[in-house]
Amino acid sequence: MFTYIVRRVLLIVPTLWVIATLTFFMMRLAPGGPFRAERDIPPAAMEQLRHKYGLDRPLGEQYGRFLVHAVTLDFGVSYKYPGRTVREIIFEAFPVSAELGGWALLLAVLAGVPIGVLAAVKRNTGADYSAMGVALAGVSIPNFVLGPALVLGLSLTIFLLPPALWHGPASRVLPVLTLSATYLAYIARLTRAGMLEVLRQDYIRTARAKGLSERVVVFKHALRLGFLPVVSFLGPAAARIVMGSIVVESIFAVPGLGRYLVNAAFNRDYTLVLGTVLFYALFLIVLNLLVDVAYAVLDPRVELG
Amino acid sequence: MHRSRLSALPRAHRASATLVACAALIACAVLALSCASRHPDARTAAETALHARYFGSTTPPKDNVFRFNNGAEPETYDPGIAVGQPDGRAARILFEGLTIPDPQTLEPRPAQASRWELSADGLTYTFHLRPGLQWSDGAPLTANDFLWSWMRVLRPSNAGRYASLMYPIDHAEEYNKGHADSSSVGLSAPDDTTFIVRLASPTPYFVFLTQFYTFCPTPRFAIEQYGDQWTRPGKIVSNGAYVLSEWRQQDRFVFTKNPRYWDAANVKLDRIEAYSVDDLNTSVNLYKSGAIAWTTSGYIPSTFIPYLRDFKDYQHGAYQGTYFYSINVTRKPLDNVWVRRALNWSIDRVSITRDLLKRSREPWGDFCPSGYPGYTPPPQIGFDPVKAREYLAKGGYPGGKGFPKISIMFNSSEDHKRLAEAIQQMWKRYLNIDIELSNQEWGSFLQATTAVQYDIARRSWIGDYLDPTTFLGCMMTGDGNNRAHYSNPRYDHLLHQAARELVPEKRLAMLSEAEKILLDDSPVLPVYQYSVNDLVKPYVHGIWPTALDTHPLAHVYIDREWEQHLAPVAGMAPVARVTPGPSARLAAIAGRFPIEETP
Repeated sequence: MFTYIVRRVLLIVPTLWVIATLTFFMMRLAPGGPFRAERDIPPAAMEQLRHKYGLDRPLGEQYGRFLVHAVTLDFGVSYKYPGRTVREIIFEAFPVSAELGGWALLLAVLAGVPIGVLAAVKRNTGADYSAMGVALAGVSIPNFVLGPALVLGLSLTIFLLPPALWHGPASRVLPVLTLSATYLAYIARLTRAGMLEVLRQDYIRTARAKGLSERVVVFKHALRLGFLPVVSFLGPAAARIVMGSIVVESIFAVPGLGRYLVNAAFNRDYTLVLGTVLFYALFLIVLNLLVDVAYAVLDPRVELG
Repeated sequence: MHRSRLSALPRAHRASATLVACAALIACAVLALSCASRHPDARTAAETALHARYFGSTTPPKDNVFRFNNGAEPETYDPGIAVGQPDGRAARILFEGLTIPDPQTLEPRPAQASRWELSADGLTYTFHLRPGLQWSDGAPLTANDFLWSWMRVLRPSNAGRYASLMYPIDHAEEYNKGHADSSSVGLSAPDDTTFIVRLASPTPYFVFLTQFYTFCPTPRFAIEQYGDQWTRPGKIVSNGAYVLSEWRQQDRFVFTKNPRYWDAANVKLDRIEAYSVDDLNTSVNLYKSGAIAWTTSGYIPSTFIPYLRDFKDYQHGAYQGTYFYSINVTRKPLDNVWVRRALNWSIDRVSITRDLLKRSREPWGDFCPSGYPGYTPPPQIGFDPVKAREYLAKGGYPGGKGFPKISIMFNSSEDHKRLAEAIQQMWKRYLNIDIELSNQEWGSFLQATTAVQYDIARRSWIGDYLDPTTFLGCMMTGDGNNRAHYSNPRYDHLLHQAARELVPEKRLAMLSEAEKILLDDSPVLPVYQYSVNDLVKPYVHGIWPTALDTHPLAHVYIDREWEQHLAPVAGMAPVARVTPGPSARLAAIAGRFPIEETP
């Protein structure tokens, strides 16, 4: 398993290089540039700006310089926000997204898994159908509908929670609920499906035959394998949820990374796009690796290598 | 197996289970749709009665703090390089120029300068600074600070987008473009409180320009010490009514009262908190809940405006900007003036603003917006389908026959799209020609318009000062903002002549004639004039809708007894309706901002 992990870690480097190269050249292919605006910029000023940021050099040279700096996690300064480095933007915005995403993911797992287990154990009863009905709704209702609905109900009709802005514990409630809803519902459905699959297995029958209590059968023996589909979902889901959602962050004015991911591309903020894309890619790769390792730990039949 | 079990269930049980699931779904759907039912036109009578007067909470905050939504995250609040409304608002809270605009009329009032004189030839301004001015760190602020700061804006390596505002200053343009030495620029500071500005030619609006944030002093010592980082809290030094104590990107600015401000005795707030909320719905939600006391103009969804009109805290006024279509006059068949005239005269502007924009904008058929003091604009382009068809026939396409396929290009936005569709239908109906629509993402749109690679493109323009030249100048031959590639020597000649004319009436008459030529040539198809729309809580005193959407915040305060003060003055500012033609309220020399329409 150790050599497997080492190999996977070493693979991160070429993967990131491919992503970086593709992003670098795709951004340059997009029409326009970072300093275009509705109002004309005098040619002399444009020349100064391009020179200041090294955009007047040959593309190959720009690419080389970018790679050299990227190795040290230095992506330079944002073109859109003069005086702010990409690293600084990411380091300030990411913790906010991570906090929001972390709470949302925690809620999704803590509520989604028990709901799924309950639905599986009481399958085809009213409890199962209502749980899965709510889960279906949770998966189907997009967060740009759920978010404003929650704001309307809990902030503007009864003045219980602030409608937006990231300030104090109360402000966390609505964005966390909105962001976690889809994940919660999905996890509940995955858990239920996984548990149903496992509960039919011979080893569960053996466990029951040994006279183990239903509680031990379900939580000790069945859940361990029934949880596996959730684990494989959690890797990419965690990466996505923790990197921030542009929709939820916009609705609740959360100063997270999600908004930068999208807006940087619109603004042709080359350095910020590269920084956020690579950061996101690295995050995703590491989480996928963790998922694979977790698989081996949870399911003795899985062998890494 | 799962399935077979389901079918084995008793029928009644299955039905009830399905019912439960359906009920849950419906409950969620109702919850989701309840926000849709808030659509402005669908409000109930009870709701109207409940909120008849003000939109949402009217309880003042417990602390002496003014909170508002500043809109999109400012790119920078360094006044020397800032561009755009949110950036400008932040810069104006921190810095103050020689003058500040009156919060209602925008007339320049003494600020860092207590008085000024103009020489007889109209070329030299002498500004006298208040004695004892200080930076927020206690260092003295002198005329040399103004000299250094203005030169910084003009310095070519600064690449300031607003450097051109300083071009009326003698040799400023030459220096900014690298053709002259810094010592030739017409600025001097003979002593600590005297600042002398020599102009290249008489500029009636120059004093107004001195309140613009580009003309604010910036702290040389901080800039030289910290470089690009000088605006950070802890490093920034300013000279306005407030200092920056906290800033978090995409979130908020906290400004605290500056005890060293010359007029600190009249600054009544402890703090101003400006949030960077770019979502329009969120902005209105925050306002309704009372979390913010002011939504700046542009941060209310346009569909809300007909509904908000009934509320007393809604403010509305004319804004100095026009929305128009720019025509690429180098492309066939648009190189034909008769075709352009036909297109121009077949746009039903009244119907667009009434039906599509729900009267949130004013129909407009001139290139320059209303409200220039002393300026008589040429007659507006009207709506006359018969005349338009005649023009099209003169252009060689009688009945629209044989008209080539051309397209209207706009940047992705529901509003631009709906307007383009309306005009597409009008041209089909009145001229019988087919137009395609081309939707472009913002970056691509800017690239295509600057490179003049389009047939017809959506554009808008907000000038910088209250004089027709700020609009007319950008249609001169070769101007960087002339994205129609329009060129008419008569037009250019009139503008050059006007620049040398000393008699204001004659000068404005020349400009009016130039605008008439422009409308006649129709490289632009004006559609509407912009308006400012904002919401201000009744307990906030000192914010009025202004023609330039400029709001000096130094003297804004929270009036806790606002209900008692309501009776005689009717509380808030009078709601100014757009009135075409010169308006006394705008009779100040004023300045404007660029519209940065983001995707």
